[in-house]
Amino acid sequence: MPSSRHHQHKPSFYKFIFAVLFVFSLVHLAPEPFSSSSPFSLLGDSSIAYAQEEGDDEFAEDDEFAEDDEFEEEGEGEEASAEGEEGAEEEDDSWKTDIGPAKDQVIEPFSFMGLSNRKFTWAAAQLHILFASFILGCPMFVVIMEVMGARRTQGVRKAIILSNVFLGVLIGVVIGITGEIIVGIHHGVLYGLWACAFAALIVSFLNYFHRLLDVKVSAAVGAVFGTLISIPLTPVEHIETSGIILAIINGAVGGVLANMIMFAKSDFKFERLAHEITKVIGMCYSFTALTGGLFLLVMIVVYNDFISYLLGNFPVLFMVVYPTLFILETIVMYIYVYSWDPLNQQNKKGRHIVCGVVLNILGLTLLCALDGPATFMQTPPVPLDKLGEISEWSKIATSTWMPLNYHRLVGNGTFGGYMVGIIGAYMYLWSTKKEEKEYYDWVGYMGNIIGVGIMIPLPAMGYIFVAEIYQYDATIGMYIMSDRESMFMLVQGLLVGTMFSASNIYMWVSMKRIENAQRFFPAMKFGFILIVISATIWFTPRRFFATMMPEPGMNPDMVLPDNLAFMALMISKNTAAFALVTVTFINYVFYTIATKTGKVHYGKINPLGVYVLIFLGFADIWLMSWMGTIRELSRMNWHVYKVFKDVTPEKFAPTLAESGFHVTTIVWTFFIIMTATIWLAIKYPKTSKKPAIPASTAPQMAE
Amino acid sequence: MQEKTFLQKAMKIVPISLGLVAIFWFGSAALGLSSAVQQRLCGIVLVAMIYALLLAIPKTEFKEKTFLQNLKIKIPVITILGIVIWFLAGSFGFPVWWQIQFVAFALVGLTFFILLDLRTMKPEKGQVHSVRRLLATYALASIIFITVTAQLPQFDPEFELEKLNKPPMKLTGLAGPEVIAAGREIFEANKCFNCHKVFWEGNSDRGPNLGSKQIGLYSDDYIKSQILDPRKDQAPGFEDKKSKKAMPTYYGDDISDDEMVALVAYLKTMRDPTNIPVEGKFPNQWTWWDDPKIIEEGKVVFEGKEAATEGLNCAVCHGAAGIPMMTGALDFRNENQPDTDKMPDHLPGVMLKDWPDELWYKRVTRGVVGTPMAPWGMIFPHLYLWKAEAYARTFHDPLDKRTAKRPVPPVPTKEEIEAWKTNELFLDPLL
Repeated sequence: MPSSRHHQHKPSFYKFIFAVLFVFSLVHLAPEPFSSSSPFSLLGDSSIAYAQEEGDDEFAEDDEFAEDDEFEEEGEGEEASAEGEEGAEEEDDSWKTDIGPAKDQVIEPFSFMGLSNRKFTWAAAQLHILFASFILGCPMFVVIMEVMGARRTQGVRKAIILSNVFLGVLIGVVIGITGEIIVGIHHGVLYGLWACAFAALIVSFLNYFHRLLDVKVSAAVGAVFGTLISIPLTPVEHIETSGIILAIINGAVGGVLANMIMFAKSDFKFERLAHEITKVIGMCYSFTALTGGLFLLVMIVVYNDFISYLLGNFPVLFMVVYPTLFILETIVMYIYVYSWDPLNQQNKKGRHIVCGVVLNILGLTLLCALDGPATFMQTPPVPLDKLGEISEWSKIATSTWMPLNYHRLVGNGTFGGYMVGIIGAYMYLWSTKKEEKEYYDWVGYMGNIIGVGIMIPLPAMGYIFVAEIYQYDATIGMYIMSDRESMFMLVQGLLVGTMFSASNIYMWVSMKRIENAQRFFPAMKFGFILIVISATIWFTPRRFFATMMPEPGMNPDMVLPDNLAFMALMISKNTAAFALVTVTFINYVFYTIATKTGKVHYGKINPLGVYVLIFLGFADIWLMSWMGTIRELSRMNWHVYKVFKDVTPEKFAPTLAESGFHVTTIVWTFFIIMTATIWLAIKYPKTSKKPAIPASTAPQMAE
Repeated sequence: MQEKTFLQKAMKIVPISLGLVAIFWFGSAALGLSSAVQQRLCGIVLVAMIYALLLAIPKTEFKEKTFLQNLKIKIPVITILGIVIWFLAGSFGFPVWWQIQFVAFALVGLTFFILLDLRTMKPEKGQVHSVRRLLATYALASIIFITVTAQLPQFDPEFELEKLNKPPMKLTGLAGPEVIAAGREIFEANKCFNCHKVFWEGNSDRGPNLGSKQIGLYSDDYIKSQILDPRKDQAPGFEDKKSKKAMPTYYGDDISDDEMVALVAYLKTMRDPTNIPVEGKFPNQWTWWDDPKIIEEGKVVFEGKEAATEGLNCAVCHGAAGIPMMTGALDFRNENQPDTDKMPDHLPGVMLKDWPDELWYKRVTRGVVGTPMAPWGMIFPHLYLWKAEAYARTFHDPLDKRTAKRPVPPVPTKEEIEAWKTNELFLDPLL
């Protein structure tokens, strides 16, 4: 019997535990040299660094006996104490600290094929972030896709409650923070988070056994209960109407989404899409780790002193939290990738969905954890001369930490969406069978919808981040918006305009394969005129020189006169952005109505649409790299703003042209690797004679 | 049921939309909403009306166009549109680079619409063909991005490096003009131009134009306190919520003592001997002539009650009520008084009501030879003298009887500012 067998194993199990404890004790109960390296010492109150300080203090106390004041002062530091000893004409102990001939060796800056120290670092960091964005962005909607594609068994329904709450949290945070910053609702993010998440939970739970609520009732129930729960959970002194309205909206959104996802048609296309993307994620995970390692190596070679300083400021993060999260995420990631078919076969889809949600939670935690050092470099907590006295947590939770978390959360989602579009486009091109072409045509359509859909709140997230930077130090904000990086921002505006235009062209081209869709064409063309006008306004700069004030060789007349300056101000830009988003949304509504009322001939898309999708993906990833560049360069000649100066020969900000070319080469590198990955993960398995998806791996029915 | 014709639908859509426009227009005015909100609401309704009308167009069979058919109408339309845009933008006062930008975007629009109406592309003939198209797509995107970034204005990295390699500022051994020049560098380095103009320089109206406001009239301590604690005393016209928190509060930490001395020295040069100070946020600006608060403060100075100008009492000669107490003293009640003929630079035929600001300033700061009108500008801060002048005008031009404010003078040009120095309009040689 299994139980008795289990019983028999018990004594050996205890022996094993005992042996482990014994070995651990042997190592850790040893005297001094070993004890200081105990992993537990890091978790205690005093770190190694702190212990070192204590030692120094003791040394200083000894020196108090010295009569010479100067000698006493010098005794506070290790180096100084050595000098003090020299001063006393004692034995020369310099051999103890002399590292040998290496100390005199000067390491020359390295250059290879025009890539300097800075550009190497830039490329490695950027590639790492691109792969990381893919593996963090895609799982967010892969889980939702998996849910959409799964049959509604009991286990799956339980898992859907969890995934709905997860989605509620994400959407609640995004709507909430937008309300908080743009409208100025105090603690909007908390209202959004609690209302949306609890609405999703309640509606999912009420619909768990039977379809108790339809969409409208779900919205009402979500709005009422989400609001009621969010109010006591949000710590505000006075409850304001705006907060309640925000909670009602979030509650309603949470309720509707929970209902829609709970009763989605379980279309197998979604399951297949999620599974295929997951295979690519699996491979990209390795590339994320590889490029991360490369980045660290490059940093050690070229910015050794800085990377030591940075890592040294976050001992718990880099020695405990990050490795733990990374290892856990790796384990869960590979379980998620490789348990897909086995769990499907065992009719345990629910467990797989739960695994996916856990993977996302780990991924997002990792993202937030690493945003800590990134924002520490951008906005180190003030006062800067007290940095050594504040806790590690204070160094992580800087003023721009949460804004960057929101921005990257949404940015990664967009990134993932457009990558799905690319995957769909590639596979459409690589497929020959009619059914395959139909399916990948649909994948491209989904990728575009996800990309555009998530991109809509992205400008708000960017605004929140930059607003916080302005708040911290307006000089950085000015450097970005109206000084050396103003032309960089102009390029950003151009890219956003291009992307919205390309998305609309894709919809237009796609609608040509839908019967009866022609009735929308005149209205859509009017929308396109609005798009061109909006893009023009968005692009219009205040001045056509790349600095705040004209410098030698620049034409000072290239400035808009005062009475026309409004064209270049945020009020005009916001109106243009509103028009871009609204027209795109209207076109999307036309597209959706067309797909509902006319037959869609999937697989017969104009090839132009496929290439537009690829263009879109390229533009999005280029833009993402560009924005990373802007953020990075905005620190000017500082590694850590006003704390750790860059004194290398490449401390100045590279020009627009130089940055544009470098970013393009990085994005090409990424795309070459991604093309190979998509081919290996999805296309290559299909070339074997075995059927691509065995019937046995299809989700099973239980109810 | 027979479907309605386009005309029937339009007859319904247009009146409803226009009705809504009227409701929004008058409703928002009645509710006291700003004109921007009013215009936007009506704009949205009009756009919606166009959408509704276009959706009402009867369905026609979609026919693909050949490339020539595709261009046939678009090219002439865009040519005319381009010309119209060029001249329209020019008539609005857009500089030539913006005219080029707008026409360039019209061409982008042309490309956009040509793309929309392109014939359906032929499917790929095998993998090589698709790879070729794929590479062309990437190449097109890359060429666009590389070209745009290469063609937009650039800054000079060598110049950047030069600035970064400069040693930190130390005032030891520096004399007046060098300190002022160093202050200008501090002003630029701290990006003050992002919000403040200095006369003609700079291009933002977020904060006051420090030149037109003549910040240099104020005391060193006041200027310094405004930099260190900008929330303490808000500039007139900048009391809105956004402006109140616009100026950063960290300059005290960022600017060293030496740098602050230099910065204040530079700010002290911002004075205009030809115009009275200007207040307010563009375009809602006014001069001190029409500023009730300044006039009130000017009265205190005029009547000798201002502590900062102890010893100055205009009322002794000109009379507290404007009735001259001394023979020969200018009667401010009479707007048709000519300029004195005792000065070599006198302005004949120009009556008091038409005196340029420059004349007021000159007569008060430099005095009138051979009369008790001393060169007060050599003794008292000019800030107070301008205030007293603003008050003196009210004797013949009472504030409550004015129908319009005096026009805000145009911002002095670079050449004009240089002329002030060459013509020695300032009493202070450093200015």
